[in-house]
Amino acid sequence: MKFLVRLLRRNEGKGYWVLNARIYSFLLWGLTNPKVLSPGSTLSQMLRIGVQALPMASLVALSVGFILAMQASTELGKLGADSFIPDLVSLSLMRELGPLLIAIIVVGRSGSAVTAEIGTMKVNEEIEALRVMAISPVRYLVVPRYLALVIMLPILTIFGNCIGLAGGWAVCAGTLDMPTSFYIKHAVDRPELWDLYSGLIKSVVFAHIIITIACHQGLNVEDGAQGVGRATTNSVVFSILWIIISDAILTGLFFFVS
Amino acid sequence: MKNTPKKTSDSSDIILEVRDLVQVFNGRAVLNGLNFKVRRGETFIIMGGSGCGKTTLLRILIGAQKPTSGSVHLFGQDITQLDPESLDKIRLRFGMNFQFGALFQSMTVGENIALPLQEHSRVDPSLIEMVVKMKLELVGLTGFENFKPSEISGGMRKRVGLARALALDPELLFSDEPTSGLDPVMTAVVDQLTLDSTRKIGVTAVVVSHDMTSAFRIATRMLMLGSGPRQGEIVAEGTPQEIRDNPDPFLQQFIRGEADGPIPFRLSQDDYLKHLLGDG
Repeated sequence: MKFLVRLLRRNEGKGYWVLNARIYSFLLWGLTNPKVLSPGSTLSQMLRIGVQALPMASLVALSVGFILAMQASTELGKLGADSFIPDLVSLSLMRELGPLLIAIIVVGRSGSAVTAEIGTMKVNEEIEALRVMAISPVRYLVVPRYLALVIMLPILTIFGNCIGLAGGWAVCAGTLDMPTSFYIKHAVDRPELWDLYSGLIKSVVFAHIIITIACHQGLNVEDGAQGVGRATTNSVVFSILWIIISDAILTGLFFFVS
Repeated sequence: MKNTPKKTSDSSDIILEVRDLVQVFNGRAVLNGLNFKVRRGETFIIMGGSGCGKTTLLRILIGAQKPTSGSVHLFGQDITQLDPESLDKIRLRFGMNFQFGALFQSMTVGENIALPLQEHSRVDPSLIEMVVKMKLELVGLTGFENFKPSEISGGMRKRVGLARALALDPELLFSDEPTSGLDPVMTAVVDQLTLDSTRKIGVTAVVVSHDMTSAFRIATRMLMLGSGPRQGEIVAEGTPQEIRDNPDPFLQQFIRGEADGPIPFRLSQDDYLKHLLGDG
């Protein structure tokens, strides 16, 4: 693995794909030498990027659960199909809305923060100081953040799905007098395991997109404070754009596969 | 045969050698065929006016930038030809003290100094803690381990930067404008620290500076880079005394800090006209 790292360092440039390849090479190297992955730093990033995003992600997921159940009750009620509301809330959250909305929250909260942090470090010569101290900025700064988000976004998504289901239940139980046991049975039984997996695969892909774009923008900041602002905007805009595009591609792929 | 041992001894004595170094930006030669050597144990000052290419030269010397042409031999190896892996090995043998410290703002002073030790040595954390305390004592900042860089003054940040640069006990120390923006007392303190590093610990120092008082105080040899019409060339090189005695008007104007002289403050009348008419 060290050979791969060496090869990629020789071709180090400003390219997004080179950054991706360097992250993977360090991850592979980390399989044999865990110190490369900076476990302490990864844990602290998991706390910052993931755990601290829980309140905001919960609020959004709860609101989405409410909205989905209320919108569905209006239309399905006309058809006398109220009993399908838990199914619809559950499937929509697991397959689509859970991963997508939580990812968008994380882009705004954590992706932008990572770009601003790394960009400011670049402006303050901290990145250059790392290089001069023979410490790879990709290994020291990017890899722990990458691992943290790739682990935490699926966890946040699962958590968000649960909170969203609770939001749907509040509407069903409060306005439609639906028994809680009925809601839980339909919300849990209707989706298949693949529905959960497809959502989690999406959240891993979204995590990759968010953190690689955020770090790439941060590492390539130029022109001081103005450059940090520009990079942060680019990070958010490109992340959301590519999340939605990749969501469409993955949804199409899963549609044909299943 | 008689000369052979002497030759070997000379070359092993040279820690840094720059050969025919050229750096061109947008068609303008900022450094134009520089040649100089730094010997082990020296405090070598690179001086020159603003925009003369001092920082560019320093960036090339530490391997942060590739020159347009020429070579930089550090510890006998041409770093312009090295792959990043080999360059990292060289980097472990020198320390760099950045102009504004380049301290990691998210870390404490102690963590900043400990970082190179944690990354490049396998020593026990308690030993690292001890080394951090020793380095802080060296720069007169005992007890400041838990302060954040934002909680200490500019002079203190520079001293922490020096302590971090010395963390791995390097053979060579690069320092970029170590006294700029400091009051005279703090300038003397930083100069004394540089002298302590070179005389007591035996570190070779390459210092970029335009502070003449400070430069003459610590230098064993000096080099003056030209600007304006002499941009990119070496105006003078020698011991502090040789530099003082050098009659070059360009050099003397710089040493005395005079506004009038060969160092151009404004464009010449012809150049100004050309510039206005978009011809130059």
